Amino acid sequence: MAVDTGAKEKRILSLQHLQVEKEGKPLVKVNTQVNGQSVLTIMGPSGCGKTTLLNAISGQLAAPFTFTGDISINGRSVIALEPYKRNIGIMFQDALLFEHMSVKENIAFAMPPKLHSTKQAQSQAIDTMLQEVSLEGFGDRGIEALSGGQQARVSLLRTLAAEPDVVLLDEPFSKLDASLRSQIRTWTFEQIKQRNIPAVLVTHDIEDANAAGGEIIELMPC
Amino acid sequence: MFSQITVYARYALLLLLLVPVTVGVIGVVFPALGYFPALGEHSFSFRIFVELLNVQHIGQMIWLSLFSGVGSTILASFITFLLLAHCYQSSLLNKIQALLSPMLVLPHAAAAIALLFVLSPSGLVARFIGTITDSAMPSTTVGLFPYDEWGLSVLLVLVIKEVPFILLMALSVMAQPNNKQKLEGYQRAGTALGYSAPSTFFKLILPSIYTQIKLPILAVLVFATSNVEIPLLIGLNNPSTLSVAILHWFNHVDLSMRLLGSAASILQGVVCVLAIVVFFTVERMISWWGRRQLSTGRRNFFNRTVALLGTCTFGIYAFLIAGVVYTVVSYSFAEHWVFPRLFPEALTLLHWKTAFSAIGQPLLNTLLLGLATSVSSVVLVLLTLESEVLVPATRKAAALFSFSLFLPLLVPGVAFLYGLVWFQQLLSVHSLGFHTYIAHMVYVLPYVYLSLAVSYQRFDNRYVMVAQSLGKSPFQVFWYVKLPALLNSVLVAWALGLAISFSQYLPTMLASGGAIPTVTTEAVASVSGSSVRLTAVYAVIQAVMPLLGFVIAWTLPKLITLNRERRRTHNRKSKRISSHMSRKERLEKKVVHHGR
Amino acid sequence: MRRGLLTWFSWAFICLTVNAEVLSTPSPSQNNVSNVDTTVSPTVRFHAWGGSAQVNGYIRWLAKQLAQKHNIALQHVKLADTSDAVARVLAEKAAGNSSEGSVDLIWINGENFATMKKHGLLAPNWVDELPSFSLTSPHENPAMTTDFGEPTLGMEAPWGKASMVFYIRQTHFQQAALAPPTNLEEILAFTQQSPGRFTYPTPSDYLGISFLKYALLKLNPQHRDLFYQPVTEQALSKTLPSLWAFLDALHPNMWRQGKMMVRQASELQRLMGSGELSMAFSFTAAEIPSAVERFDLPTDIRTYAMKDGSLANVHFIGLTFNSPNKQAAKDVVNFMLSPQAQAEKQKLTVWGDDTVLDMRRLSEAQKRMFDEPLSHPSALDKSVAVPLLGEPHASWTDALRDAWYSRFGARY
Repeated sequence: MAVDTGAKEKRILSLQHLQVEKEGKPLVKVNTQVNGQSVLTIMGPSGCGKTTLLNAISGQLAAPFTFTGDISINGRSVIALEPYKRNIGIMFQDALLFEHMSVKENIAFAMPPKLHSTKQAQSQAIDTMLQEVSLEGFGDRGIEALSGGQQARVSLLRTLAAEPDVVLLDEPFSKLDASLRSQIRTWTFEQIKQRNIPAVLVTHDIEDANAAGGEIIELMPC
Repeated sequence: MFSQITVYARYALLLLLLVPVTVGVIGVVFPALGYFPALGEHSFSFRIFVELLNVQHIGQMIWLSLFSGVGSTILASFITFLLLAHCYQSSLLNKIQALLSPMLVLPHAAAAIALLFVLSPSGLVARFIGTITDSAMPSTTVGLFPYDEWGLSVLLVLVIKEVPFILLMALSVMAQPNNKQKLEGYQRAGTALGYSAPSTFFKLILPSIYTQIKLPILAVLVFATSNVEIPLLIGLNNPSTLSVAILHWFNHVDLSMRLLGSAASILQGVVCVLAIVVFFTVERMISWWGRRQLSTGRRNFFNRTVALLGTCTFGIYAFLIAGVVYTVVSYSFAEHWVFPRLFPEALTLLHWKTAFSAIGQPLLNTLLLGLATSVSSVVLVLLTLESEVLVPATRKAAALFSFSLFLPLLVPGVAFLYGLVWFQQLLSVHSLGFHTYIAHMVYVLPYVYLSLAVSYQRFDNRYVMVAQSLGKSPFQVFWYVKLPALLNSVLVAWALGLAISFSQYLPTMLASGGAIPTVTTEAVASVSGSSVRLTAVYAVIQAVMPLLGFVIAWTLPKLITLNRERRRTHNRKSKRISSHMSRKERLEKKVVHHGR
Repeated sequence: MRRGLLTWFSWAFICLTVNAEVLSTPSPSQNNVSNVDTTVSPTVRFHAWGGSAQVNGYIRWLAKQLAQKHNIALQHVKLADTSDAVARVLAEKAAGNSSEGSVDLIWINGENFATMKKHGLLAPNWVDELPSFSLTSPHENPAMTTDFGEPTLGMEAPWGKASMVFYIRQTHFQQAALAPPTNLEEILAFTQQSPGRFTYPTPSDYLGISFLKYALLKLNPQHRDLFYQPVTEQALSKTLPSLWAFLDALHPNMWRQGKMMVRQASELQRLMGSGELSMAFSFTAAEIPSAVERFDLPTDIRTYAMKDGSLANVHFIGLTFNSPNKQAAKDVVNFMLSPQAQAEKQKLTVWGDDTVLDMRRLSEAQKRMFDEPLSHPSALDKSVAVPLLGEPHASWTDALRDAWYSRFGARY
């Protein structure tokens, strides 16, 4: 395979014999790898450990859940790192945009420090991002003025602006209207793949899984 | 009919909040403008204000009030946010809450007295140092706590007293259902974006809740700027803060000083407004700076500083509280206790006996006043809250209500209490008990209301809808559905009202003219007396009394639940016995039937 | 259900009215005295400074005696500052209250008396009616009818005597290898050798103004006559400069460098007890051993009077013009002047305040009541003769105080 010298380095999320347990009893077991061009989909009925698996990866697993196994990103294990240091982005069901900031400020908030040398440059970069998801000119708007679909898009941009190594998607499309869902879904996967970020999607909707196009792991009903 | 009663209760509450303060302010405005017939002054003029502004050191007095008020509030807010940022996500939060809650209900006078025991040149800290440096006499360095000329001692005590209040206000705002979910979401989003816990707090959570805690902080600001007890006990007296000067002017034997005092009360109001302006300016500057920080993407926003300062603050509070409890309790039982020893030479019950032989009347007064105010305010507030549900008010009326609720908290006590007392004396010279009751109600009602309103809002209205669908009248819904569910909150609000009544100093002194001594007035009087040990006894009593109310509020629901469980088990047992019988009967029948 | 609501409300209402009742009228049943016929005995409200445990205890004894023997309920209203009560009576007069005053008797002297006299707040010419008053020999003893130079005009009855004594922490002096000061100059020298260990209260307190008067008298021996006449501008300009020179030298070496001054004499005792001061002074010599016995002062306290003279005065009980219980109040004062009450007051274990009674007027049995068997290491040695300095004319008090305030600090 020809290597594009300008491309980003190979990104891999590796879940090695990752087993999440509830009070000692095994709940979810996963052993797989996800590279930057694919999306791992976890499917199953509610209450059976889908979100718990995401929590284990992001480091926010709370009692009575524990886990065994290893999680590594680009070859380095992250299980010893604190959640906020893992550089793992999460997209939630709710957009969770910060109401005291404008759209632009929300995205700027996520950007790594000193990424752009001047405020002008930062502002321009954000405008470009907004253009890509058809939200031109929305930079200075307040959050309350946005519709559900618009909020979902800004939320996506925000998650990606942090330049995460991995993105976890916790049923991010379930609260959207059916008409919006497929478009947002397409945009989301497009943006993620463009940045070569491994992603893990949790959903109970088979259409989401199909759109993701990667490996699908189905959890046993519990 | 019940709805009608609740509406009357609402009007009564409104009057109780509005009338005393308004009347009080009028009662000082007229003398301030030179109109005081009893002294033969009949003309309105501004000469009193001119005279006031020419008083020696008036500028310094105003500065001291502003400095200690604004400085302490800003510092206390800063420390509170620091503490929250450090531990809002950890188990430390519960420990801090448990540690600081008792400080909340400690009367200001008791807090000042208690800190004197630990921080003065002959206090516990000095004794530690004295034991180490082997000095036999307390230090004479000027500028130490208390009585320093820059107002820092007053500021320190105010900060120590304010932090628990602001902290618990912030926590209750954060726990409100409409906030809780949003904040938890922000927390997760912030962590996912790589922000540490303190950074998430300062950049995401604080901006969201700040508007809701602004009003309590303003009340704290006004209190700090116009408080009398703390500068009286801890501050320099030459010159003192403006509020203490007002106290002395009104008590002066030269009656014409009352005019000066009235003008100064108005000035105190102006100083409070000035304090609010300064505070808002500072707040603007910080939020402008903070806004810019939001877009920098800095993930580690003073992480280590926060952790360090947060732990230090927790440690300092723990030390102070332990030190205060040890010193005050020891002094109350101490025989001779020469500096710099750390333990009294021997213990005795003499001081407790002395106090108890004199405390009968003050204790009775304190309890009666406390019970009267707390019970009546809880009843009034409950009915008012019901009326808001049953007969919702128009927007204007609701705005007026909110305004009058905060009026006693935002108008300084020294500014209106003297006028109120003058008016009360005009009405009736005798019913001092009633006058004191009203003066206390003005302060108890807002807190009881705020405390109960939160629980009322949180109450799941679907229970009400179910009850109504079962055909229950408004009163039945209130009495049988809401009240039992809210019992905990009602008891806590009652205990809070009790604690606030216990801690009143100026209202009791003024409204009763000293004829109704309470534990607090006795404690403050004893500080200028000669016996440190007696003061310690009073301080202990002052501290324990509000706690008793909360102990009752905590145990009573448990007793009721226990009783209910006992009755239910009893019923179940009797039911089992009766079903047992029928089973036996059935067995007998079978036996008979099968001929065995 | 409606019945339940009704009983609940009526119970709450009854509770509130009963509370208001109990609090509004100081009924005799509220007093410390228990065996009183509540329907008949009048209540006399005695407003007196409450900062001394000994005084409070003595007043409780008085109340008990009065209840048992005279069927009068004496209520001690404790004041943090006597001027609070004076202000109260003033306010009542301003509000037109001339027969239902909240103050019956008030413990005053000096400036407070002068103010009350000026505003007509005291009932005049009642002291002569009291049988016990003659035991003080008022005609031979002008101190019984003069309060800081102001004639009392029968408005207040003498209660006790006071003269200024000093007390020190012996261990402090031993450690610093200094001798206790015995006159004014030596006080100044002491503060220079051991700074920050001495102070005096602000002149609004009678002990504070007394210290200033003592200093003024001692620094101006050549102008002695001027002090016993009404004050004049000339007299002030002749005598004040030496006082200012003395104070200017004293203040920087005082406690807190003179920047903070205590407002009440009792605070001096507190500071002595905590060890922050090494030397203080008082008008009540007997309260010092009492305080040591109560552990408020350490055992190394020694009391003595200055060799160059001790300022002395009498303190009084006033009857307000608008007291509703004048007869009962007069009976109370009459009892307070009785040999039995005066002897009890003079006991070291009770209060130790000197009696105003003339011993020559008493019978042998009555004189024996005053015998004091105890002697305490911290008590004043009364066998040492000390020259007494009479109080200057009352007008000097205000003038001196005003001058001090205009020079040293804001006036409240």
